[in-house]
Amino acid sequence: MVSVKPAGRAGDIRLAYALLSPALLLLAVVIAYPVGWEVWTSLTDLSPLKDGSTGFVGLANYRRLLADATFWQAALVTVVYAAVTSAGKLALGLGFALLLARPFRGRALVFLAIFLPWAYPAGVSVIGWYWTLNPPTITAYAPFMGQLKYAVDGTFGIGAWAFASVMLFNIWRGSSFIAVLLLAGINAIPQELFECALLESRSAWRRFRLVTVPLLKPFLALGVFLSLTSAFADLSNVWMLTAGRIVFPVIGTHAYWLVIKAGQYGPASALSLTLVPFLLAVLLVLFRLFDPPQERSTA
Amino acid sequence: MAQVMMKDLNKKYDEVHAVKDVNLHIRDKEFIVLVGPSGCGKSTTLRMVAGLEEITAGEITIGDRVVNDLPPKDRDIAMVFQNYALYPHMTVYDNMAFGLKMRKFPKTEIAKRVGEAAEILGIQELLKRKPRQLSGGQRQRVAVGRAIVRHPQVFLFDEPLSNLDAKLRVQMRVELKRLHDRLETTAIYVTHDQVEAMTLGDRVVVMKDGWIQQVGEPLELYGRPANRFVAGFIGSPSMNFVEMTIAETNGALWADTPGIRVKVPPASAARLGPYKGQRLTLGIRPEDLRVATGSDPADYSFDTVVDVVEPLGSEILLDVKAGSNVMVARVDPTVRAKLHDKMRLSLHPERVHFFDLKTELAI
Amino acid sequence: MVIERRWKKWVFFYIPLTVFVLGTLFPFYWMFVTAIRPDAELYRSWRAVNNAPFWTLQPTLEHFRDLMAKTMFPQWLWNTFFIAVISTAISLACGLLAGYALARLKFPMAGALGTSIFVTYLVPPTLLFIPLADIVRDFQLGNTPWALILTYPTFLIPFSTWLLMGYFKTIPKELEECARIDGATRFGAMTRIIFPIAVPGILSAGIFAFTLSWNEFIYALIFLSSPERKTVPVGVVSELIRGDIYFWGQLMAGALLGSIPVALVYSFFVEYYVTGLTGSVKG
Repeated sequence: MVSVKPAGRAGDIRLAYALLSPALLLLAVVIAYPVGWEVWTSLTDLSPLKDGSTGFVGLANYRRLLADATFWQAALVTVVYAAVTSAGKLALGLGFALLLARPFRGRALVFLAIFLPWAYPAGVSVIGWYWTLNPPTITAYAPFMGQLKYAVDGTFGIGAWAFASVMLFNIWRGSSFIAVLLLAGINAIPQELFECALLESRSAWRRFRLVTVPLLKPFLALGVFLSLTSAFADLSNVWMLTAGRIVFPVIGTHAYWLVIKAGQYGPASALSLTLVPFLLAVLLVLFRLFDPPQERSTA
Repeated sequence: MAQVMMKDLNKKYDEVHAVKDVNLHIRDKEFIVLVGPSGCGKSTTLRMVAGLEEITAGEITIGDRVVNDLPPKDRDIAMVFQNYALYPHMTVYDNMAFGLKMRKFPKTEIAKRVGEAAEILGIQELLKRKPRQLSGGQRQRVAVGRAIVRHPQVFLFDEPLSNLDAKLRVQMRVELKRLHDRLETTAIYVTHDQVEAMTLGDRVVVMKDGWIQQVGEPLELYGRPANRFVAGFIGSPSMNFVEMTIAETNGALWADTPGIRVKVPPASAARLGPYKGQRLTLGIRPEDLRVATGSDPADYSFDTVVDVVEPLGSEILLDVKAGSNVMVARVDPTVRAKLHDKMRLSLHPERVHFFDLKTELAI
Repeated sequence: MVIERRWKKWVFFYIPLTVFVLGTLFPFYWMFVTAIRPDAELYRSWRAVNNAPFWTLQPTLEHFRDLMAKTMFPQWLWNTFFIAVISTAISLACGLLAGYALARLKFPMAGALGTSIFVTYLVPPTLLFIPLADIVRDFQLGNTPWALILTYPTFLIPFSTWLLMGYFKTIPKELEECARIDGATRFGAMTRIIFPIAVPGILSAGIFAFTLSWNEFIYALIFLSSPERKTVPVGVVSELIRGDIYFWGQLMAGALLGSIPVALVYSFFVEYYVTGLTGSVKG
């Protein structure tokens, strides 16, 4: 009969936008604008080292990239790097989480220890690794590590040792985070479900496969997702552990090198943007695996 | 103290029409109960009164103000939630004082009112505790206390007893009733439990699928249900329904189905005239059936076979079969009945209900 | 039966746990040993007499002293702390408000906006550092802490928003409905009821943000150039490695000291952290 304008609702909408505006504004400035700038730059020959005006070069930067063997090598290395480290992180992280799932004496301490690699500044813990794996020749145990390095490089090719050490470091650090994420997931599963499973089946493996894994699936997927995306776009780990002397460039380090050392903004932007298809592919696969958290906000 | 009017109230979500053309006049100081199965629109109606749901169409008046556009805080109401909704980071005292603090009452007045409410509810010793240190029943009292310190115009209760165990629920029910008698504030109470509805309400509103089915005093709903749904919903165990054909024999109307043949009581006969030769639903409450004795008129008796025996102590519930019709009878505890016994039952002729098969309305 | 169970417990629990924990902690132990090892012992042969590869015979604090006196390490600590605290505060404030709006309010495009905030978390520094370097130069923020304070929210805001949104959803809606009936506005119910209850979630998001900004490397490496402006991770690496000369003892000392604030934050709040995280992922 009488149709009334929903006053409360309009107020809610105004409030919602007011609350969101700081975050959106900041993200627009530091994300949306830069990405736009980057897309534009990738179509130009912008370089601070070059005098005169910046020219629009169309897709030339991309064309040159696709013809460049270094790019294809970097892409391949990136994919291998992401796949291996993600698998390693997930396996170790799941192991940790399952070990820590039940209460035992000293659990809090063990938890802290396991979390340490992630919480510890990578920029400095990486030095410890560098020191361990690539000791200067005068150090006490250098001959031993040296022999190991030559053995590995001899088998897999020059640079394999450095690459392996980067992956080891990444797994060491990342599994710590995955463990905490999965532990939070296990905590969120009602205890009764495990107890019920205990009544149903005596085989621990079957319980793990049929109850724990399906219930943890969203968290596993989220873990894989974060791990893959961060590995694809990795720059700092590789850069730090090899102190910039990169034998096996990944896409990230290659772009960094192009900008900092060669001042080639255009090609570097194009190179960075080639990561986008990788990221989108991972995103799509995982969207199918589970409803990402923000989707539930509309429910 | 105020009356509440709902006029052509409607609520539509994207696809669901949750409340349909609700018209209700709640009198000052009245305790009114909205009851119905889940999804019937009772909670949505209450939340519209509270201002927590936007009104799609229609008008709500509290006292003499139309409140459609007022935010909840300005409606001068208090609400008790099913999960109590106590603020976990505040003590009991602060929980109860919150509403008064928000309305900038002086400290002494707040202390006085909280003290009074705590005394009424017997929770003086709990004032310094945090909600997590309380039992379910205590939380419930605090939630009620938080509502009454405000002296609001209307109390709203959203299934407040559902989370309590059966014994506590009965006890709190009595206390709520006593509280209402003492405070004399208009109250709207939502529940899915018809016993709560019958015992608490001055009047009861039965809802289903967003429609009001019937409004009336508890005994009116019980004695003269407006339709088959209300008849089945009110009363426990619920009313027996049997589909029957009306036929005229020797100038009298008879209701007939394989296994049962009873006379239509003279009081209903006039109304059933148009149904001659047609089918309708006969309703009879379990308590209006009894074991037939020699003095019972044969016109209202029929043979059954006992299917289940449920002795409750003060009475026995007999699940019986008459032909293919299943019925429940509530009989005296002295009745000796065993499984598969043959038993002749007799129905109370003045308490038989008839419902139209299609419209389900009472005839 | 009991014996079998004990045996199983060792094989499936204690032994793997010990191996894991040792593997996790060994690099830290190694850093520690190196940091307190005198140079004379650091740089000599594996087979030398009286050598103990896995511990030291003459522990010394010399490297720590050198680090504090001869480098700008104290200044780096302060820089890192300042940047981490301010960027965490900004991101938490934004995340708190945005998370609440996404969790509780109904408004057009809620889903799209939520997704877009979450997706920004996936835009990696590798993609952003080139344009951000340009912006920083345009605004003449290069070599100032503000360059980092402005860029860190790129990854801090999405994560804290997501975490807090999840946490808010675990708080019963009735609490704020009750507060609104009790006399609070929507905003009042948020600040007086929901935020205090969300403290574990806020702390866990705060810890997360603080750690991420404390540890951040790439932006700090690119945007800060003069030694007195650097943060700990960058300063230690770039100032204690000169060409091919590594000041190993000091490096390790710096690595240990530089992580103390983060370690402290975690040991104090680890309980909150896990409950907060659990709450968030549940929602």
